Amino acid sequence: MNHVFWRDVRVLWGREVRGALRERSVVVNSILLPVVLYPLLLWIEISALGFVAGLAERSSARVAVLGDASARSEIVEVLEGTPGDGAPENDAGPIEIVDTPTTLDEALTRLAAGDLDAIVTLEEPAAGGDALENNARVVVRYDRSVDRSRRALERIERVMDGARADRLALEAERLALPPGAAEPLRVTRRNVSTDEALGTTLLGLMIPLFLVIAVALGCLVPAVDTTAGERERGTWETLMTTRASRGSIVTAKYLYVASFGATAGVLNVAAMSISLGPILAPLQGMGDGGPALVVSLAPTAIVVMALGAVLLALFFAAAMMPLAAFARTFKDGQALVTPVFYLALVPLVLGQQTDRTLTPAIAMIPVANIAMAVRDAIHGVFIWPLLGVTAAVSVALILVFITFSRWILGFEDFLMGSYSGRPWRFVRDKLGSAR
Amino acid sequence: MTAPAANDGRVRVEGLVKRFWDEGRGEIRAVDGIDFECVPGEVFGLLGANGAGKTTTLRVLATTLQPSAGRATVNGHDVVRSPESVRRSIGFHSASTALYPRLTAKETLEFFARVNGYPADRVPGRVDELLDRFDIRPYADARIDTLSSGMKQKVSLARTVAHDPPVLIFDEPSVGLDVVNALELRRIVAELRDAGKTILFSTHVMPEAEKVCDRIAIMHGGHILSVGTLEQHRSRTGLHYLEDIFLADLTGADVAAP
Repeated sequence: MNHVFWRDVRVLWGREVRGALRERSVVVNSILLPVVLYPLLLWIEISALGFVAGLAERSSARVAVLGDASARSEIVEVLEGTPGDGAPENDAGPIEIVDTPTTLDEALTRLAAGDLDAIVTLEEPAAGGDALENNARVVVRYDRSVDRSRRALERIERVMDGARADRLALEAERLALPPGAAEPLRVTRRNVSTDEALGTTLLGLMIPLFLVIAVALGCLVPAVDTTAGERERGTWETLMTTRASRGSIVTAKYLYVASFGATAGVLNVAAMSISLGPILAPLQGMGDGGPALVVSLAPTAIVVMALGAVLLALFFAAAMMPLAAFARTFKDGQALVTPVFYLALVPLVLGQQTDRTLTPAIAMIPVANIAMAVRDAIHGVFIWPLLGVTAAVSVALILVFITFSRWILGFEDFLMGSYSGRPWRFVRDKLGSAR
Repeated sequence: MTAPAANDGRVRVEGLVKRFWDEGRGEIRAVDGIDFECVPGEVFGLLGANGAGKTTTLRVLATTLQPSAGRATVNGHDVVRSPESVRRSIGFHSASTALYPRLTAKETLEFFARVNGYPADRVPGRVDELLDRFDIRPYADARIDTLSSGMKQKVSLARTVAHDPPVLIFDEPSVGLDVVNALELRRIVAELRDAGKTILFSTHVMPEAEKVCDRIAIMHGGHILSVGTLEQHRSRTGLHYLEDIFLADLTGADVAAP
């Protein structure tokens, strides 16, 4: 009864695909959204982030300076970058000195209310070991929970560091010391990564994430459509009274769902690989010049990615289809299958740790193992034994799900849609009655 | 029951029982020990009210339900032991068996012919024949979801016979049809009978049973109360109209019930 006849599978699969390609919701949700919309959304999000970051960079930090008149004047000069007696040019970002509050309490109230971003006071050196002769202490009060306030602190610190360096240089000159005496150690940043390495890192972070999302979404609608949708349309019984064996029907439906998922995944990866440069372009010029993206993938990496997409599709199709088959309507089917989609995203947090590669432990975790293998492949890392474990674990789980699908098709209350409970209750009932 | 000959075109049912379990109502005997036989060139009617057990009986014969007891064979194949052979031998049509809305009429016929094992090289010719025979050609390339219910009915009947099965099962096929389409359905069933098909036809519409069926089994509560031609029913009860005969059988069954 459960034999698979490949001739029938081909006929049934062809019918499924032909029908799906004519259904707008299937094509849009399974193919167009992953391939076009998600890269577009990512581009919009990053552009918006860049825009907001640019606005934040240009906005002034509102700073109040408290203290006696002479000290206050000196600090204000430094913070405003007013060219004066040795005052530095302020390149840390605009700082606006606001009207001086009368007391520190008043200033703190205004800081808490968001009218101020930081308060600068010049205070006596701390008692004890920190105290030095002619030393002054600048105290910056800020609100760590507010972005704008944290940014004000960073700007004040940069300006103060610059002023201190200038002061030391002047002092060294006055004492006729060599120029290096004022700054015995200078830290200079040198980025040794290549543009290609940077691009690969970004690609390695994004592709596995989008691959999993695209494949899962690519499987979701077809899985529901071919099971719950078929019941809802009344074609389920029509199909069950044809000569095709249950095994052939399950196999054809399964391959149809998996082929849509794999197609969505492969197309999404291709779309993301091509469009990642333009997508991340808004990041260029931010911070330290922004990433200059150069992406190149080895042929082996492309093969591993494609196989990863296929394995993920086979996995999601096998997991989603039997669940959706318990539903009598498309809507119920979506409600049953959607948790699988969210569950699949959980192990992906492992992929966010960029210093990790595929390990034996990760190779045992479904979905995460394939995502990690794909990321490794993008970085040119191929740990073949663990790739084998990944494939074996995935195939084993796929077989378990398919066996379950064929098992439940053997029960006529499931077959005829007369079973009204949830999948887990069905399993419990059937296993219970078998004992 | 003697062993049926393979591919004899007959439907044989003996002591068939189908029980369901319902949490609220307990055990339900939807079909409770029925016997009948239907031969090639005959339309055998199952007449009964809703819940009489007609659809359950036909679903057992279509192998979507398994019998709880008894035995049934279709075209010489046992419904439990050889379900795929049974399904290869039947065309199943009911008000609840819909068509794929995204396929065209022609694609629908091709699909059902192929999936039911009709020889691949003869499928195009068979589809052509069905398009003409059921007068579908004018809308052969239109998608099912754009057709009227009468057009869909014709396609549905054509797909039922697409693989030229020896046994046809019609479960309340006229539900929802207007008068013209119901008449067309009767004409097609009669043609199929004349072509030597074995036809099981369930209905709760008495005039339809009178006009379509060669023999009629009156079902009630999972039992067959009586079987025979319309004339046999008339002479048995002394009543003329099937509706009266049906009510008389039901009254007798209720009186006889404990």
